[in-house]
Amino acid sequence: MPILDFLLPKNGKKQKVILLGSGALSIGQAGEFDYSGSQAVKALEEEGLEVIIINPNIASVQTNKGTNKKVYLYPITPFWVEKIIKIEKPVAIISSFGGQTSLNCVLALEKSGVLKKYNVKVLGTQVDALELSEDRELFAQKMKSIGVPIAKSHAVSAVKEALETAQKIGYPVITRSAFALGGLGSGLAKNETELKKLTQAALMTTPQVLIEGSLHGWKEIEYEVMRDKTGNTITICNMENFDPMGIHTGDSIVIAPCQTINNTENNTLRDAAIKIAQSMGVVGECNVQYALNPKEYGFYVIEINARLSRSSALASKATGYPIAYIAAKILIGFDLLELKNPVTGTTSAFYEPSLDYVTLKVPRWDLSKFTGVSKNLGTQMKSVGEVMAIGRNFCEVMQKALRMVNENDNGIMSNVFNNATDKELEKELLSPTNLRIFAIYESFKRGKTIEYIYEKTNIDHWFLSHILYLSKIEKGLFGFFEKNFVKQDIFTAKDVDNAFKQIPKEHLQRLKSRGFSDFQLTKIFLFACLNSKIKLSIKQVRTLSFGVRNLRKKLGIVPVVKQIDTTSSEYPTKSNYLYLTYDGIYNDISSKKNCKSIITLGSGSYRIGSSLEFDWCSVMTSDYFKHKKHDSVIINCNPETVSTDYSASDRLYFEELSYERVLDIIDIENPKGVISCMGGQNPNNLIVPLSEAKVNILGHSPKSVYGAEDREKFSAMLDKLSIDQPEWTSAVSIAEIDKFISKVGFPVLIRPSFVLSGTLMNVANDKASLDYYLSLTKDISKDYPVVISKFILDAKEIECDGIAKNGEVIVSLVSEHIENAGVHSGDATMVFPAQKIYTHTVNVIKDIVRKIVKGLNLNGPFNVQFIAKDNDVKVIECNARASRSFPFISKVSGVNLAELSCKVMNNERVKKILLDESEIAYVGVKASMFSFQRLDGADPVVGVEMASTGEVGCLGEKFDHAMLLSMEATQIKKPQKGILLSTGREKDKVKFMEVIDNLYKLAVPVYATKGTANYLEDRGYKVNIVYWNKNPRAIDIIIDGKVDFVININKNLSVDELNNNSEIRKTAVKCGCSILTNLEKVIAYLRAYDSYEELQNLEDCITL
Amino acid sequence: MEKGKNIFDKNYKKAYLELSNGLKFEGRAIGANVITSGEMVFNTGMLGYSESMTDPSYLGQILVFSFCLIGNYGIPFPKDGNFFMSKGHESSSIKTQGIIVSDAYDGCYHHDGGIAIQDWMKSQDVPGIAGIDTRYLVQIIRESGNLWGRIMPEGAKPQDKNKFEFLKNFKDDEYVDPSKYNLMPSVSTKEILYMGDSSKVISVIDCGAKWNIMRMLLERGCKVNVLPWDSDFSKINCDGWVISNGPGDPKNTQDLGERIRKYVLGSNKPILGICLGHQLLALASGAKTKRLNHGHRSHNQPVFSLPEKKAYMSSQNHRYAVEKSSIQPDWQLWFENANDDSVEGLRHKTRPFMSVQFHPEASSGPNDTSWIIDKFVQLVEKSKK
Repeated sequence: MPILDFLLPKNGKKQKVILLGSGALSIGQAGEFDYSGSQAVKALEEEGLEVIIINPNIASVQTNKGTNKKVYLYPITPFWVEKIIKIEKPVAIISSFGGQTSLNCVLALEKSGVLKKYNVKVLGTQVDALELSEDRELFAQKMKSIGVPIAKSHAVSAVKEALETAQKIGYPVITRSAFALGGLGSGLAKNETELKKLTQAALMTTPQVLIEGSLHGWKEIEYEVMRDKTGNTITICNMENFDPMGIHTGDSIVIAPCQTINNTENNTLRDAAIKIAQSMGVVGECNVQYALNPKEYGFYVIEINARLSRSSALASKATGYPIAYIAAKILIGFDLLELKNPVTGTTSAFYEPSLDYVTLKVPRWDLSKFTGVSKNLGTQMKSVGEVMAIGRNFCEVMQKALRMVNENDNGIMSNVFNNATDKELEKELLSPTNLRIFAIYESFKRGKTIEYIYEKTNIDHWFLSHILYLSKIEKGLFGFFEKNFVKQDIFTAKDVDNAFKQIPKEHLQRLKSRGFSDFQLTKIFLFACLNSKIKLSIKQVRTLSFGVRNLRKKLGIVPVVKQIDTTSSEYPTKSNYLYLTYDGIYNDISSKKNCKSIITLGSGSYRIGSSLEFDWCSVMTSDYFKHKKHDSVIINCNPETVSTDYSASDRLYFEELSYERVLDIIDIENPKGVISCMGGQNPNNLIVPLSEAKVNILGHSPKSVYGAEDREKFSAMLDKLSIDQPEWTSAVSIAEIDKFISKVGFPVLIRPSFVLSGTLMNVANDKASLDYYLSLTKDISKDYPVVISKFILDAKEIECDGIAKNGEVIVSLVSEHIENAGVHSGDATMVFPAQKIYTHTVNVIKDIVRKIVKGLNLNGPFNVQFIAKDNDVKVIECNARASRSFPFISKVSGVNLAELSCKVMNNERVKKILLDESEIAYVGVKASMFSFQRLDGADPVVGVEMASTGEVGCLGEKFDHAMLLSMEATQIKKPQKGILLSTGREKDKVKFMEVIDNLYKLAVPVYATKGTANYLEDRGYKVNIVYWNKNPRAIDIIIDGKVDFVININKNLSVDELNNNSEIRKTAVKCGCSILTNLEKVIAYLRAYDSYEELQNLEDCITL
Repeated sequence: MEKGKNIFDKNYKKAYLELSNGLKFEGRAIGANVITSGEMVFNTGMLGYSESMTDPSYLGQILVFSFCLIGNYGIPFPKDGNFFMSKGHESSSIKTQGIIVSDAYDGCYHHDGGIAIQDWMKSQDVPGIAGIDTRYLVQIIRESGNLWGRIMPEGAKPQDKNKFEFLKNFKDDEYVDPSKYNLMPSVSTKEILYMGDSSKVISVIDCGAKWNIMRMLLERGCKVNVLPWDSDFSKINCDGWVISNGPGDPKNTQDLGERIRKYVLGSNKPILGICLGHQLLALASGAKTKRLNHGHRSHNQPVFSLPEKKAYMSSQNHRYAVEKSSIQPDWQLWFENANDDSVEGLRHKTRPFMSVQFHPEASSGPNDTSWIIDKFVQLVEKSKK
């Protein structure tokens, strides 16, 4: 009996099933759920079900329209889900593909009896088992009852209780909070003070905290389990953390399969995982995390997740086994023996993949984007994305991954610590930050032993010995070159070729198989032989590295393509899931001669500024060319994405998006063309070098891209076309900066050159702030110029997304920001169609766009950003590529910008689209999701540097509806307890009065800081006054839970002002308050409450 | 610079793998400096290399590990296990003729480990080659069905022919083909080994038994007598029989099948056949065996029981299988392979006889089917009453 009875069509009509998404991407809950959800949709549609998606994440692939699918872009809350249940009358609901968000929502719906009331069944693991997996105390009891060891731990609900418990267990202790993801509210406490701080914070957001003895230094190991309703169970993959217990798995480097455990340990843990899944009655997927004793046999189970997770997405990509797809089939009634392994097509889905390669996940952190955040890693997850490298040995995958994760050709040789003292290195080893791996490498280069590093880090010897080996290779090669070559000022590629000719072929092969890129090898040569006063740019080193590349090719040292087939070749497969390695001699696929393939370059790791939206663009592109009967090829290295689902393309190269590797793949594919404008800035950076290497880039010509990206060129063009732009300069000295400012005055926007650790973009309001921000950047010099532009206050920001063909605009669509200029466009709340711009302004904008498109001769997707003040429109920048807003604009307007781009790139005939934006039936609001709660010490203020980790897009018949929905979907919740106000400048205070009545209509106590309170009282509003530094203190009323909503507007952008308010904001975030810091956003939000009742009472919801 | 010498890697020594189909691979010599040959087989398990290499079923074979990193946790130092059956080892020595790997780790840091894999191989005169594209080699083996190979480290001597009995008459210019020999004398105990003390007495017919079979029987409170393959079964007094796993063609075991039919089946005591033991029992029952294209050697063979269709992940290592059509009327199909429908287990319709093609004793591999040993011991207990 494959499918459950009640899911079969009734009276010829398909049955409906609700699939909950995970909402906006945030730290701990990212793109992996788009991947899982998309696979699930496919699996469910195939079985004749109609899928109702509820997910406000408009940039996701799963929220694309489909024939057997309805999409609701609504907050995943019991209220909205119930409303949609009422409308759609589904027979079932699925919670396993939307992370903690959907799980919590279904638990709430079950508890409140809604599911019972509407007779909606939960598919898969049942609610009681889900609760068991979430409630740590119950879970511990269950584990004890089945004889699986679990660490000594106690659930507490008060700080005092926590202290008593810790006294019993003994310090250090670990705290964990229940019903949370990403380790929120957890940490390591070495003493009473630390414990007090941790539990206090955790208990603000969760009723229960667990205190456990610390297992610091133990191995951390995970199993992915799949179980069907008949009880057949498999473990698909195991994974081992490079970083032992103490660092959250999401922040750990992870290898799959496990490498340092033996057969006995593996099977003991595997047996326990199966036993746990059996005892909990899991139906579908679950993962089990363990701590394994590194010194003797022994383990503890840490936790289980009875749902798809980040790890399950990683395991799918690591093994090729489509976990979410199979889990979805199981949920609706299939058992594993009935299903086939989709990779082989012939063998059983009841199967544990065998790998003949290893995969390594390395997290991506963007901590330097946040002011004040602690960079130390611990039990709370801080990373915003990840990459996965595939190879045939540990050195190879480590090297690949470290080049992938920051798109840095130097990878492990990044020399982050080469100026650090031994003491500083030791500190990094002992209390790790996101840069620890580089500290390990540097320590080895300085001659430290494995034992020494092990003592400080507890990282297994096996891992360390490989890093030591890499450092020895670098040193050996360096020594060889230093000894055998004379130092020079200048080298050619031929010189590099000649130098590497002196190395025995098998050793050069070895260097490549241990993951060294041509760029890195060239770097080692240059370290040894180039006069130290000479500095070469990346471009110059790249050119020289062709010496290595040419030599290699002559010697036949080239990477080979291998398939990922789940069976280690035991069965023949046609798998299109590929990677490249130097540890092999045979290509699993033959080189393509027919020039049929179109290669789409993906976006790499998710990060702040490049996320799901670019994966959506890549997937749309690949899909398009697949349907056009081209060989659609994707290169990407991000395991969380839909684009790295092997079914998204004809061939997937899970590979580095580096210059060298892309060229390697081009050598194999001989493509018709390469698309680099759909994956965001990362692949876009490759356009110029690739085109110099004679690669056919589709879409915009490299000249156009260069013309848009080079500030000098772009600016000159604007001047020529008489298009206005804010005044700017590229300064190479303080004197030049001063000169510029004396001309234009404050405030100014400062953009330092990019350096590895990242430096912030900032707005300087006065000399003091300017000096402070400049002090944060590297020396200003010709190599590191600072771009300074006039910052225009109180200006509106407008964007125009569109497609051009041969210099003509095919379509251009205008959207506006709610926030005034000064908030990064990636953080701003975007409205489409624009509601508050005059037709005249729209016309001016479209006219400018026409000129720019013509001037740059654009041929593909573009995005132009403007600022407008009083009728003045100025151009800020133009991106000759798909932008972040493409999926949002596409879905709201109904014009698929990605598809249209493909048509242009494929040189098809396209008609101009004259869309009257005012005719669009609804208004879309795209709002940003921030993850400040996870970033200890970060000031949740938004500014010119992007800080959001995700976004939602909600629709409404009118703006207010869409605004309220999008705010709710980004965790801005209607105040229930009280509001704390600080409304900034006098002029802002005046402006705020526009919505003050709406605020008071919310009927909760209002607290305000002194200035604001006085202002309100003077105007007859009742308000509770609070102070910075005397009682009642602003911070205390937040901590005491008297307010749950904080409105905190800065007076200005001076450093002092930021610091003053920062305590309030940080505390608000810590305590889980809704927080708004931008005046325009606050006003739009409060004004929208006019329509609150109306929205809540609507009987219909909008579907895509 | 000195010609031909790798100054960056002074320990580098070449070795070649010559295959019977004419292909030749070059790699890095690991382990002992001797030339050996054997049947080329591959295993796709990712862990458990020490258990595999000591598994007597691999006798006469060159084992290719498809997984790319072998030796990571070292080799458990032969410590005194129960009756000297050390953990991580399945017999007292390496049984493979040699191994082929992509990468062999030269170290040992596991808390249970004592020695690096290369040192272990050296100490046991077993050669290997690293740096081989094992994925490619697996594909070659899979496609060619029958393939033999020779490991040739530069400047190495031929293998000592006294190492195993079957090698005695072997000529160096041939490829060792284990299917040509009766391998029982090379792997079976020479005299009866008595282990444990209990009223439940199990006789294990040692066709190259993995130690874990004995360990598991002992753990379940049995007294275990390990019998030489050629002992006179008619004289054995016991409560149950285990016919063990082992190397080679079940038909190339002289009169073993016949003696099993007569004395073991004839004794009417519970019987459990494992792997080769399963094939021998099938032959004794009148069924036939056949040679598979490349066999099953992995930790992830999906099998399911009939009629319940309950599925298990199993560890396997075999080339021969029972022909489904030849199953005798008083026997029934017990387990089937979910990938290729091959016979994975048989049981007698009325008598306490059963056999499985896979390894319920695992080691290495998953323990999903260890319940079969439980079931067997329960049958023994029941039949004693």
